[in-house]
Amino acid sequence: MRSVMLLLFCFSCFAPLWAATTGWQTAKHLQAELVSEYQQVQPGQTLQLALHFVPDEHWHTYWQNPGDSGLPTQLSWTLPEGVSAGAIKWPTPQAIAVPPLVNYGFEGQTILLSDLTVASDYQADTLPISLKVDWLVCEEVCIPAEAEFSLVLPVAAKAVLAEDAVSLFQQAQQQLPYPINVSGQFDVSGGAFSAVLDIPTIQPISAFFVAATELVDHAAPQQVTLNGEQLLLQQPLNTYFSVAPQQLDIVLITTANKAYSVQLQQTRSAGTEILITQGQQDPTALWLILLLAGAGGVLLNLMPCVFPVLSLKALSIAGHGQVRRQQQLQALWYSLGVVMSFVMLAILLIVLRSAGAAVGWGFQLQNPYLVALLVYLLFALGLSLSGVVQFGLGLMNTGSAVADSGGSRGAFFTGVLAVVVASPCTAPFMGTALGYAVSQEAAIALLIFAALGFGMALPFLLLALVPGFSRVLPKPGVWMDTLKQWLAYPLYLSAVWLLWVYGRQSGVDAQAMLLIGVVCIAAACWLWGRRQLSLAGNGSVMLAAVLLLLALALPGFAPYQQRNPTDTATADQSWQSWSADTLSELRQQGKPVLVNMTADWCITCLVNERVALSSDSTKAALALYDVTYLKGDWTLRDAAITEYLRLYQRDGVPLYVLYWPGQQPEVLPQILTPDTVPQTLARLSRQP
Amino acid sequence: MKLRHLVLAASAAVLSLGLTAAPQIGAPAPDFTVVDSKGSSHSLRDFAGKTVVLEWTNHDCPFVKKHYQGNMQALQQEMTAQDVVWLSVISSAPGKQGHVSPSEADDLTASRNAAPTAVVFDESGVVGQAYAAKTTPHMYVIDKAGVLQYMGGIDSIPSAKVEDIATATPLFANAAKAVLAGEAPNPAISKPYGCSVKY
Repeated sequence: MRSVMLLLFCFSCFAPLWAATTGWQTAKHLQAELVSEYQQVQPGQTLQLALHFVPDEHWHTYWQNPGDSGLPTQLSWTLPEGVSAGAIKWPTPQAIAVPPLVNYGFEGQTILLSDLTVASDYQADTLPISLKVDWLVCEEVCIPAEAEFSLVLPVAAKAVLAEDAVSLFQQAQQQLPYPINVSGQFDVSGGAFSAVLDIPTIQPISAFFVAATELVDHAAPQQVTLNGEQLLLQQPLNTYFSVAPQQLDIVLITTANKAYSVQLQQTRSAGTEILITQGQQDPTALWLILLLAGAGGVLLNLMPCVFPVLSLKALSIAGHGQVRRQQQLQALWYSLGVVMSFVMLAILLIVLRSAGAAVGWGFQLQNPYLVALLVYLLFALGLSLSGVVQFGLGLMNTGSAVADSGGSRGAFFTGVLAVVVASPCTAPFMGTALGYAVSQEAAIALLIFAALGFGMALPFLLLALVPGFSRVLPKPGVWMDTLKQWLAYPLYLSAVWLLWVYGRQSGVDAQAMLLIGVVCIAAACWLWGRRQLSLAGNGSVMLAAVLLLLALALPGFAPYQQRNPTDTATADQSWQSWSADTLSELRQQGKPVLVNMTADWCITCLVNERVALSSDSTKAALALYDVTYLKGDWTLRDAAITEYLRLYQRDGVPLYVLYWPGQQPEVLPQILTPDTVPQTLARLSRQP
Repeated sequence: MKLRHLVLAASAAVLSLGLTAAPQIGAPAPDFTVVDSKGSSHSLRDFAGKTVVLEWTNHDCPFVKKHYQGNMQALQQEMTAQDVVWLSVISSAPGKQGHVSPSEADDLTASRNAAPTAVVFDESGVVGQAYAAKTTPHMYVIDKAGVLQYMGGIDSIPSAKVEDIATATPLFANAAKAVLAGEAPNPAISKPYGCSVKY
């Protein structure tokens, strides 16, 4: 038996009839042969066959997705019963640019492998293989061709490898993308193919190929981003895109030119839209986030809602200018107050988040009662500055009034007050840091908030600790009292702003109730002030306390009016109110959309709307590009908007997002100029 | 302020050329002005009130040859008999495959017994890119109101083999008939196949 085998082996080596290759066939600009991995096969075996193409230089054949033109090579096998052939195992393709088009294919030698499975009960002595191949070979000009290949392999009890072909098959294996089993999803909403993959640590990915035809715009730029262990891919959809398959293969190319193949599933629900936003997608180092948070904190000092408190503090430092050591101590207490408040906010945020509540930054002012209390607080502080009453002398030490009191406790609570009032003004930088914080574990979130607080307190620390800073401070004098009285007015204005917010939240009736409460506060302060000057007796104190209680109770009885967002809509308004459905519908229709997430208590938002979004140039640009302007109101807590903000790694307003069909959503800066929207639109529309 | 508007409008007009890179079904078809092989000029708006067919072509492309074995000529005759304006557009740049002189174009029409309304030249590729024409053949149907109703392949089997025409779904012919009947084609978009346009 062995000698027969040996004889057969030798025979098959030399007999051209049983060679493992068909030999070359020459077509226009391309030579082709069919090669078997085994020169003798055995029943029950699976072997590989290679279709080996050698096109002329610069000529190419096509991948399973040929790109904008071209045709994939097609194989049709004629095989005896009991023998079956698998699909082509495609090698890693190349992108071949034929401006303005891009094709996916293979230049140079190409080996297309197919598996051939021989049934275990295969009886015949020989295995005749016949293959008809259709291909299109192109340089710029294309030549379609077809050819037939026949190969007869002997069948025996033992398979014999074709030694000559080993290197060819090795080469073919090397050209195959390496399959990795990772979970990945893709989505085709918003005019773009987007995919998210949980990817193990491999080299950075530089490009990808989508195997499905007519899905992506092959010539359009690809977006490849690594976000931690998540790989995000995006490319605009093809003009001829109609329906996406449930699953598809993609090939990932690393910067080291290695290739991996991955299977992706289409996302099930429309709600889990995959979004890739610009500028916030890179894994950002913690130190950078902390730095940004610190910078954001410093900027908070310049925000209109913090300014009055800031002036309070500046005054208090000026007021204690005589003792340098005390100044330093005060600054430290103030900083501690700020940092602690931020940390408390972070803890609250983390607790609420873990409790599943849809909360976000600025939620303090989404509760009307809290707004009412802040109105009282700011008004009372204003009265104090105006000299009606002296806080810090009397009984009312807790919470608000202590802020203006001397000593470390006063400094500490001034810090707390600054934070409470500052929080709704999400300054630039803060958005990113907060979004990052919310998505991080508790310890890091706390650290970020602490950094924010430190940033906010920094100017005062410098003032107190750096000699150069304190020397800049003027000498105490009569001017201080004048300045103090002047500083009352920013506080009154802040109170007016909060009153307006309250009115928007609860309606004009409730606002009137609150104003009565404000009058009560005024009377209480006045009585108190008289008592301090010993002009009034204990009766006045009682009355003041009653008035205070009345003021506190009034907002509780206020007729709360559920506000309908459409109430404020007017006939000629240029915007529609935001809803997730409206947005996704418009994007499905391929329309450009501007989303503005705003809240009445967010001064930055209101300034942006007045200065930039309502400007003639913005209105003209929106009309010109037929952009639908959607506005979401977060004045009262709205879970859908909170969810949306979180998509963009934000926890506060304002948030401005421009959607241009076929491109990833563009997040605009938090401070807009009249030119921001027109310029962004011009740039987006210019991109292919 | 006025100047700013003017600049805005002007830049938008320039940009709109770039924007039309993605023609939209149901939207007005991009206007164009081209010169035909006889030297006369045609604009899309000249054909208001008539159904217009645009056929991107390149006589050396095997996929075009496949359909010029009789299929394309039959479609041209059938359509032009129903007062359809059929423009065969050559976007091949000078020196590239498919680029021909006006007299060569006329010879090709005569020798192939083709029956388009006109053969027009788009050497610069402006029209081709405005319509995002990718392949030859690549077919477009524009209705009487100038609205783009169909863009895509001539039929459903992407091959260069003549025998496949018989078994393929004639996507373009179906679409053109639907437009003539005042209906919306289904599908309105299909995958074009063929050689790349030689811009």
